[in-house]
Amino acid sequence: MTAPEAGGWVGRPVPVREDARLVVGRGRFLDDVAPAGVLHVAMLRSPHAHARIVSIDASAAFALPGVAAVLTGAEAAARSRPIRPLIATAVPLDDYCLAVDHARFAGEPIAAVAAVDRATAEDAVEAIQVTYEPLSPALDPEAGARGEAPWLYPALGTNVVWHDTLTYGDVAGAFARADGVLEERLEIQRYASTPLETFGCIAEYDAGIDAYAFTTNDQRPGLTMAILAESLAVPQARIRLTCPDIGGGFGNKRRPAYLLICALLARRAGRPVKYLEDRRENLGALMHAASGVMHVALAYRADGTLLGLSVRDVTDEGKNLVSPAQHNLIKLGNIANGYRIPAIRYEAWSVLTNKCPAGANRGIGKPFMCFAIERAMARLALRLGVDPAELRLRNYVRADEMPYDTPTGSRYDSGDYPATLRAALERFGYARWRQEQARARQAGRLLGIGIATSVEPAGTNLASYEIITGRRAASGSAEAAMVRVEPDGRVRAALGDPPSGQGYETVIAQIVADELGVSPDDVSVARGFDSATTPWLYLSGNYSNKFSVTDTGAVVGAARRVRDKLLRLAAFRLEIAPEDLELHGGEVRVKGAPARSLAFRELARTAYADMLGLPPGEEPGLEARHAHQNPLARPMDEARRVPSQLVFANAAHCCLVEVDPATGGVRIVRYVVVHDCGRELNPLIVEGMVHGSTAHGIGAALLEEFRYDDSGQLLTSTFMDYLKPTALDVPDIDVGRLEHPSPFTPLGAKGVGEGGAIPGPAAVANAVEDALAPYGAVVRALPVTPEAVWRFIRAGHSATSR
Amino acid sequence: MNAPVRLTVNGEAVERQVDARRSLSDFLREDLGLTGTHVGCEHGVCGACTVLVDGWSARACLLLAVQCEGASVTTIEGLTPAEGLSPLQEAFRATHGLQCGFCTPGMIVLAHELLSHTPAPTAEEIREALAANLCMCTGYVNIVRAVALAAAGSSG
Repeated sequence: MTAPEAGGWVGRPVPVREDARLVVGRGRFLDDVAPAGVLHVAMLRSPHAHARIVSIDASAAFALPGVAAVLTGAEAAARSRPIRPLIATAVPLDDYCLAVDHARFAGEPIAAVAAVDRATAEDAVEAIQVTYEPLSPALDPEAGARGEAPWLYPALGTNVVWHDTLTYGDVAGAFARADGVLEERLEIQRYASTPLETFGCIAEYDAGIDAYAFTTNDQRPGLTMAILAESLAVPQARIRLTCPDIGGGFGNKRRPAYLLICALLARRAGRPVKYLEDRRENLGALMHAASGVMHVALAYRADGTLLGLSVRDVTDEGKNLVSPAQHNLIKLGNIANGYRIPAIRYEAWSVLTNKCPAGANRGIGKPFMCFAIERAMARLALRLGVDPAELRLRNYVRADEMPYDTPTGSRYDSGDYPATLRAALERFGYARWRQEQARARQAGRLLGIGIATSVEPAGTNLASYEIITGRRAASGSAEAAMVRVEPDGRVRAALGDPPSGQGYETVIAQIVADELGVSPDDVSVARGFDSATTPWLYLSGNYSNKFSVTDTGAVVGAARRVRDKLLRLAAFRLEIAPEDLELHGGEVRVKGAPARSLAFRELARTAYADMLGLPPGEEPGLEARHAHQNPLARPMDEARRVPSQLVFANAAHCCLVEVDPATGGVRIVRYVVVHDCGRELNPLIVEGMVHGSTAHGIGAALLEEFRYDDSGQLLTSTFMDYLKPTALDVPDIDVGRLEHPSPFTPLGAKGVGEGGAIPGPAAVANAVEDALAPYGAVVRALPVTPEAVWRFIRAGHSATSR
Repeated sequence: MNAPVRLTVNGEAVERQVDARRSLSDFLREDLGLTGTHVGCEHGVCGACTVLVDGWSARACLLLAVQCEGASVTTIEGLTPAEGLSPLQEAFRATHGLQCGFCTPGMIVLAHELLSHTPAPTAEEIREALAANLCMCTGYVNIVRAVALAAAGSSG
């Protein structure tokens, strides 16, 4: 790498250092870690969606050679405490790491075995005898909302975890004044980003000091540490959690219950144990993006100006006791999308069902919110006879209105939404493709153009949970980092947020290089996470798009403290004021007299070895820790406004599809994204994130669905039937960018990880509907499979023949 | 039930007693310590475990080790030069044709097979070949670019 002018590493497409080890297969993933004497865990999982567990007999399993320990739900309940939920139910429910008396989804762990190898553990699981009394399952969240479904928890007396109506502004007045109201009922399916590496952990118990050590690809270690300590009833100081390289996360990689199961097995067996999901366990039991049903009503003036929005949103949580209502709540961040909508009503229903727990998945709820709004905008454009791009341009928050406070309490920090869409239309060739579409239609070809635009929130403000709980537990968004100049003068950094493919080691090195005037190659960055050595907070973790919002600030802050100390040490040695010094090329030098300088190595010698060379009162060492909280977080106010998220990137997607009327197949011909994530810290990484995130949106739009049958059995439990997009399904996504830095993050960066996944489903759905306009199709649910297309075409034919 | 197996792995003769039900992927990873071969689905769809068996790509999770008696198996370790990177690996790095890196060894093995039979593939041929494996991070755009770059480098 050639050195740029001083500073200047941030913003450059610096090659991603992690790639060097990964392209040769020398990453260190969870399954590559093998402590001596490690046992392997397999889990017995409920075959029923809902059942009473009458009896469990594990004696035959325990008798098998090679089996070291068996754990049942009753034993887990005796040896651990329930898992504390992020958002508590009205009546506390004891949620242990294994099901105790009742199984509440097909795939829920009932018992677990540790044995010399996985195959033996699987054999032992098959030998466990369980008697179930099947119960009728609750599968329809709307029935649950009406009180017409079997209860998962009779103690709760309902399957509804949260129901509330939030009203912001004069909604009744807006609808009364409107020239028209557009109403739609829209659905989203269950899907997931399915990281290629499945979730798991290694647990070790040290009986000598009553301490546990976990190696895991858990992407939110701060919160997990708290749960482990509470549930195992040991001080957090006696729990160590480390993360190696993580093979993708997207929100899915978390399940404290599995860590607890392994801890109890390791303690009983007196040996380390390892558990790694197989793919069926991953698809059926880890985490799904919640399915849901949304009723949207949009009040508008005749010229297309939006006056008000009313949303009724029913979320199918599955057996989610960890973070129910999160899918609902987080939609407050993008409910208005990029539009000026002065009055908003949001009625939330969070409903338990006998399905896999819903949980964090790239965007959490926001893809559905964006789908609903952007589908409604497409329908409204058709109704008014206005071009869908023009309708959006009439309603955007304008650049001169930034920062803009939304009715629900979010602050859109910067950006130019109309310019983003115009740039996308230009790049896409919108006018030309509209003409081409008309010609193709004459020739009987079905081309469709879809537009969807989005805001992409980043950083979660946990104070928003107060809307549900009425009290504040956690709040804001923050992260911690450390920077240290080692005794040899080289630099080391670590962050409390374990990456899962986002290139943090590279970007952290760029940031530190700029702050300390060195090359990124001089900065070593710790891989993953280690609770014993990495600074961290309860809020630490890889979630909610927060790297740009908090993590960058933590790194900058720690580096600046080290920088200030280097200046003080050099100033003392050179007998000059710190203001007259600068950092450059691994040394501190006098401004205007660069020959007068001290190398980091020499200053480090002073800091670590030559105590008498330190300025009076200066602490030895050259290390600093810093935690950064984003300044946009605020508590809920009296009108129940609260920023559920903090910093807002935005994007415009234009998608061209061709539908094959013979097969119902949809081919994406062209896909343009223009996005604005503020200052791009490393454009090489940013562009890759946009590609990958958009591909998740395309998968959700056309292919992916966790489909359950009437008895609550998952029908799509392998990659043979749960279809992921391949290189033939994802087009060569064409990415353009604008760059409006955020005034509220230290480097001006915004979130970028979720940006494609949020508008992607809407853009593709709008394009397919546009292609099928001759048949009068209205896309109200995803995925738009060939079967769905075929049904639209058939329905259109019968309508025209009537 | 143990059975003997003799095969060549990355050019070296290997002889082991293995459980008859041991998959080739477990054999490579756990018995030989070749952890560059990753296991993503264990049912032959994702292709993270792709290795070459007698020069052709195969799913190591769907083969038993004992089935490879007498075969020559090449893993990502066998495609990596003693020093530095192969041109394909260099191209993946140059284009950032990966993110989490879990699919990457399988993708590189797959691309190696493609380029050894089709040295100058079209973009469509690259996509056709890569569609055998899944990547959850990149949307494939930069992987396609990486393979095209490697092909251009070797032909030009």
